[in-house]
Amino acid sequence: MTAILEAKGLSKWYGQVIAANKVSFAIGPGVTGLLGPNGAGKSTLMKLAAGQLRPSQGEITLWGESVWNNYPLFQRIGFCPEQDSFYERMTGAEFVATLLRLHGYSESEVARRTETAIERVNMIAARDKKIGAYSKGMRQRVKMAQALAHDPDLLILDEPLSGMDPVARRETIKFVRALGKEGKCVIVSSHILHEIEAMTKNILLMHNGQVLAEGDVHQIRDLIDKHPHHILIRCTEPRRLAEALVGFSDVVSVRFHPEGGALTFESRKPDEFYGRLPEILLRHEIDLGEITSPDDNLQAVFQYLVK
Amino acid sequence: MPARFDLAKGWRDMRAIAFLTLDTLFWSKKTIFVTVISLLVLGMAVLGRLILSFRWIAAAFTPAQVFGTLMSTAVIHFIVVFVTLFYGTALISDEVEGKTLTYLFLRPIPKPTIMFGKYLALIWISSLLVIPPVLFSYFILYIRGDARPFLEDIGILGKDIGIIFLALLAYGAFFSLLGAWLKHPILAGLLYAFGWEGIVSYLPGFTRKLTITHYVQSIFPHDDIPGALAMLLGERTGPAESVLTLLLMAALFLASASLVLREKEYILEQ
Repeated sequence: MTAILEAKGLSKWYGQVIAANKVSFAIGPGVTGLLGPNGAGKSTLMKLAAGQLRPSQGEITLWGESVWNNYPLFQRIGFCPEQDSFYERMTGAEFVATLLRLHGYSESEVARRTETAIERVNMIAARDKKIGAYSKGMRQRVKMAQALAHDPDLLILDEPLSGMDPVARRETIKFVRALGKEGKCVIVSSHILHEIEAMTKNILLMHNGQVLAEGDVHQIRDLIDKHPHHILIRCTEPRRLAEALVGFSDVVSVRFHPEGGALTFESRKPDEFYGRLPEILLRHEIDLGEITSPDDNLQAVFQYLVK
Repeated sequence: MPARFDLAKGWRDMRAIAFLTLDTLFWSKKTIFVTVISLLVLGMAVLGRLILSFRWIAAAFTPAQVFGTLMSTAVIHFIVVFVTLFYGTALISDEVEGKTLTYLFLRPIPKPTIMFGKYLALIWISSLLVIPPVLFSYFILYIRGDARPFLEDIGILGKDIGIIFLALLAYGAFFSLLGAWLKHPILAGLLYAFGWEGIVSYLPGFTRKLTITHYVQSIFPHDDIPGALAMLLGERTGPAESVLTLLLMAALFLASASLVLREKEYILEQ
């Protein structure tokens, strides 16, 4: 992977509060989700990446260059900040155009890019309304429009779905995925797991200023082998299956589901568990309905890691 | 490798920042307050004209005396300071309070250019709000049947406008620095303008040279109390030195403000 954004031993503290603690990671092209509860340090990390904060220790680089006060880099960065702040008197189109002018484009180019950006975030109908009269979702979309209007190579979107209605959310998710497919590097944060999961499988998990895990959801699951792996099985004879498997040392617990016909095992060695399962099913003549691992869901991974 | 500074691009960026700042400053609530204060000058000029025309006061006054008093009491020591204080401190602090500074810092523009652009807007709007009322006041006080005093003192008016502009430059840069540097710049600015300057400009010795007002008074063509006191003590600075010092102060404060903006980390609280 060609790293676009790289952090090495990166720390950031505000007085006594540590927002990022010796963080190291590398992010390449495509969509990367930055996931963590509120106060995990996601916004701080994004602001550091966008050159809005100076690292207290360590370094953060974009395309191998330090970001802080490196103004030429900003032609290649688009940042949608979390804060709901605007030049309220302007219309959405004026806001985007005003900021585009600061990129040095000609007036005709500013007009063209403004139209494209406004169109991409589905704000054509409201383009000439004052931002002060926008709904939260519309404000979010205008914020995104200013971030992508200059066609940056790296887009940093801090909680972009916050305040959006379901339709706008779906469109934005689709849009973010499309940007990733275009080969852009998109870093998107959220504290809501299914939002991130809908946009990407590639995540960076943060908690208390530290990156707990990074990579594909499945790879991350492999990292947490100290936690038992959940395996949900639907079958014709759940009690017999439980009896046959509970004696193995790797099986930590068995839980029967109230609706019947299903049970969840916790195993410390999932590979061994899956290996012996066909033989046991055959031997006890149990028909298998479904076998799934709830741990593949991001929510489960997240809960494990922040415990 | 550091990027080379392109002068034409620098000017274009500065102008774009200036227009954006001008728009936000002009439509802020401060403008109503500043306009009211500026209009007070006109009100005082009208009052002065009535006193001159109808001889409401027994002592004989000339338009030059009334205009000089207006300039020293209302314009130089009050309006210029107030306008630059309100707008100058707001240049950066309003962007921090409104959390819009992020949008500016995300553009491929050096931070000093942002500061210069904002300062340009400050001087622009301050001049627009201060100089026209002074010109109108001159017309109100001087226009009468005899055009000679009007023409004779027009040089003094030109000098006044020049001094106002220099004062706007120096105070504007100083208050811009406070705005970029401090969390509560208005308070610090008020303390400086009406505390430090108010006290020190009446004191003999070198300390009075540590004020902007000293150099403004030194080239001021009208009599005012601190100026008269300074003249009595023989502590006026020469005109060329005063003009140069005011320009240097403006440049130094503006450069410092740019440096602060470049190096300071603005934490926009959620």
